[in-house]
Amino acid sequence: MKICVCIKEVPDSDVPSDKLRIDSNNLKVLPIENISSIVNGFDLNAVELALKFSESVENCTVSIISVGTNLSSDVIKKPIAMGADEIITCDDKKNINIDVHGTALILSKLIKKTGPYDIIFSGRHASDFDMATVPFALSEMLSIPILNIVKTIKKKGEKIILERIITDGYQLIESKLPLIITAGNQVGDPRYPTLRGIMIASKKQIVNYTLDQLEIASEDLEIKVKLENLYFPENENKVEMIEGSDSKEKAIKLIYKLKESGII
Amino acid sequence: MNVLSIIFNEREKFDDSSLEIFTFIKSLDNDKDMNVTSLSFGGDKKYISKLPVDNNFYVELSGENTNQIDVLKTIDFFLNDKRYDFIIFQKDDMSNYIAPIISYRKNYPYIPDIKQTYSNNSDNIKFIRPVHGESAEGIYSVEKNNPIVLKIRKNSFKKEFLLSIEKDITELLLDIDISQSFTIIENYKTKSEGLQLDEAEIVVSGGRGVGSKQGFENIKNLATLLNGAIGASRAAVEAEWIEPSNLVGLTGKWISPNLYLTFGISGASQHLAGCSNSKIIVSVNTDPDASIFKYSKFGIVEDCNKFIIDLIEEIKKTS
Repeated sequence: MKICVCIKEVPDSDVPSDKLRIDSNNLKVLPIENISSIVNGFDLNAVELALKFSESVENCTVSIISVGTNLSSDVIKKPIAMGADEIITCDDKKNINIDVHGTALILSKLIKKTGPYDIIFSGRHASDFDMATVPFALSEMLSIPILNIVKTIKKKGEKIILERIITDGYQLIESKLPLIITAGNQVGDPRYPTLRGIMIASKKQIVNYTLDQLEIASEDLEIKVKLENLYFPENENKVEMIEGSDSKEKAIKLIYKLKESGII
Repeated sequence: MNVLSIIFNEREKFDDSSLEIFTFIKSLDNDKDMNVTSLSFGGDKKYISKLPVDNNFYVELSGENTNQIDVLKTIDFFLNDKRYDFIIFQKDDMSNYIAPIISYRKNYPYIPDIKQTYSNNSDNIKFIRPVHGESAEGIYSVEKNNPIVLKIRKNSFKKEFLLSIEKDITELLLDIDISQSFTIIENYKTKSEGLQLDEAEIVVSGGRGVGSKQGFENIKNLATLLNGAIGASRAAVEAEWIEPSNLVGLTGKWISPNLYLTFGISGASQHLAGCSNSKIIVSVNTDPDASIFKYSKFGIVEDCNKFIIDLIEEIKKTS
């Protein structure tokens, strides 16, 4: 079998909101200190799900696919260090301001060029713009059905059985292949790269395609929904800190305040 | 102007959060000639017949195993001979799946998680939506020459009132395809502990600071005492101190109680996304700089496990 995982390089989201700034030239949210980037957290959950699946079937290769501009090779090679087999990118300076449509279009061309894949994985959404749209656009462009927020997958003959997370529980689904699958944190923590994995990743060549090689013209990447401004919303809330000599006194004061407000 | 709202009632009854859509629709335009159509999937017909719309369509769903592909085909067919300026969804499991696909299938632009209409002129319309795990906001603009697919953020708009009388509804059939590529075999509902989070007036939540499964017993005790629901941050759910269905936040439940009490929650933006519509937030944390305090009405710097025991004791004394 041949499967792939689409990943995105994003600014580190695990930073408290007061340690963030807006890059107003490129309309991006960035950490105040050194601009560290990571692989989108949910994409690493998708890598974990893909690796678990590849270990449960015979002869399965896992490709990593990414689109961007000036991708940091040590960041996007992390899935290789975790155990994936190859990495394919479209790193092109013309990709700088593409939207979800452009991203999905480039991914679809990369997938057609290097596939076909039995399963295409990705994270449920990217932590920078939270659109949760690219995998669905990809599904339409490739005419491959999609199931979102999947927790587990198992092969059953020619089909697969999977658990899909819904608001109040999960669904058990049987599906034909090929299929697009998105993953969230329910998959469990992504595995740590091994020392051997890190060595392999450092030597691994990234296979890059330019937009020209993928026969994508600038007009194909036209933006339909334009991000015009990005800002931190003002917080006008004023907190009242409840003081007291000990925990008990603060508890009594809080109960008084809540009764006064008519809440309890 | 023609507007279509597509509503999914995943529970057998009527999910009244869909009434937020109609307040949002009013914010799109002051156009007196606005014609609003609703296409509802599932739910109680008695309520649906009272939706404040001009044209009311209803598709009955049998059971819980509705396949998304059938819903897509039905909408696709419905849209075939009609033109809408806006097609509007709310945030739920089915819409999260359907809305982006409809937009790409029809080649219409799509904006998810809208919390406000920013401006509207003859050429373009602008919307505000949160980004970066709700820590920032973006203004998105789109040209009005094509139909636009929108999905609104939960708890961002007031609920419009239902009509006092039942009006006619047109029933449509779900377009069932037996040769589809996937089949839903079974739905498993994991019951969250305590009351339903999204319906409770009071929610008591615990985070990393609670420190243990045992510590969470006090969260449950306080919730029971206040007749409230139990909530949790992602850290507490990942540590398996509480069921995933008790998660409050961007990837969990979106709540809007009168009182939200947090214990040992630092206030990551992903968590705030799910609770920022609470009327009063009270937070207990050992760290005086915890960002949750910036969104709270009352803050207490204290060990949350000690404070909750004192609070339970004092509430018992006063009641």
